[in-house]
Amino acid sequence: MPHELALLHNCLLVGAVLFGIGLVGFVTRRNMIVMFLSAEIMLQGVSLSLVAWSRFRNDFGGQMLVLFIIAVAACEAAIALALVLMLFQRRGKLDIAEWRGLREANQPGFREEPPPEAPPEVIEPLPHLTPAGVAPQIPREETDYRPRM
Amino acid sequence: MPDLSSIPLSALAILLAAASLWLMLPRGGARGRGIGMILGAVALGLGAARLPSLGQWMADGIFLVLAGVTVTSAVGAITFRNPVYCAIWFGLSLLGVAGLFFFVGAQFLAVATVVVYAGAILVTFLFVLMLAQPEGKASYDRTGWETSVSAALGMIIVAVLSISISGALSAAKGDGGSFRQDAKQLGKVGSENFLRPPSEDAMAANILAPRHVARFGDEVFSRHLIAVEVAGVLLLAALVGAAVIVERGQRSAVKQPRSEGGDQKSEIAD
Repeated sequence: MPHELALLHNCLLVGAVLFGIGLVGFVTRRNMIVMFLSAEIMLQGVSLSLVAWSRFRNDFGGQMLVLFIIAVAACEAAIALALVLMLFQRRGKLDIAEWRGLREANQPGFREEPPPEAPPEVIEPLPHLTPAGVAPQIPREETDYRPRM
Repeated sequence: MPDLSSIPLSALAILLAAASLWLMLPRGGARGRGIGMILGAVALGLGAARLPSLGQWMADGIFLVLAGVTVTSAVGAITFRNPVYCAIWFGLSLLGVAGLFFFVGAQFLAVATVVVYAGAILVTFLFVLMLAQPEGKASYDRTGWETSVSAALGMIIVAVLSISISGALSAAKGDGGSFRQDAKQLGKVGSENFLRPPSEDAMAANILAPRHVARFGDEVFSRHLIAVEVAGVLLLAALVGAAVIVERGQRSAVKQPRSEGGDQKSEIAD
């Protein structure tokens, strides 16, 4: 395969893999912010494909579209995170299952599984230095005010 | 179609990738992440072995490192239980994508990705996580919806995409395949000109020009000027919208304790 074609092929493949990974993350995770991160991963995959085509076709059009994708993704992030914050303030959780009441009426019921055990909190004791040396003898009248340091 | 002898290897790579993703995704406390990582590494290795070479060994090596970092960080971003770790792995994936942009010659976009995505969007994520994430590991971070089905289907989608990419691009080599006959009927796509890379001089004058940002700016502010203006208006709308959403949310959040005082302004506000 000629080098330019191989470069296009490889970059398109990496873009497809990124898109697939973002898709799996979006569909699977319950935390609203991680869902949004997965959507951003999908956007990165598409941007990579566009830039690869732009290089191959010697045309700046692909890179222009990626520039506007970046701008639109910034707007989308601002609005989405504002919405997520407001949703969090209504229910106190970032869980998308809190909002299952917004689904259509004919969906199968949601099985509320018992939450898995949290891993035990390992509280490490803070380091403790043994006192060493002799305590300085401070005259009584100087404990409140020391005229010299 | 790509040559038939490599289909079992690609199918194995897809299968291993699906299994490793399934093992690594949060499944309600089930173990298996270590095995998932090993299977994922094997799947990546098999996939990398199938990639056509870029000519020089150094180009191949750099591309494999960048692509490996990107894909591994993306998998980490969807897999970790703690969403702050997910955000940080996403940042590393952005750096990998920026590296790939540099590799392909889109220098402005690489820097724009780092500055805008990793520098602004990611930091916004982290701020929202700071405001909204519970202290310990929440239960909804440790479970997922239908992990096996989604991992399998996601990797099937990747397989279909990679088959169509390989099939369409290998038609240009002249090895042919069934894509060629179908594509010729579409007219333009099957023609040799579509998949023939442009000449070196054309590349050096345009995409790979030494003053890349100047060429980029030429294109943006001449052919895409209206889109730039519209993007500016969109950014303004997003800014105002985010501020309004948060302000409305604050007002309705504090409405309950203040309703005893009968504050008329907040009652008619929403």
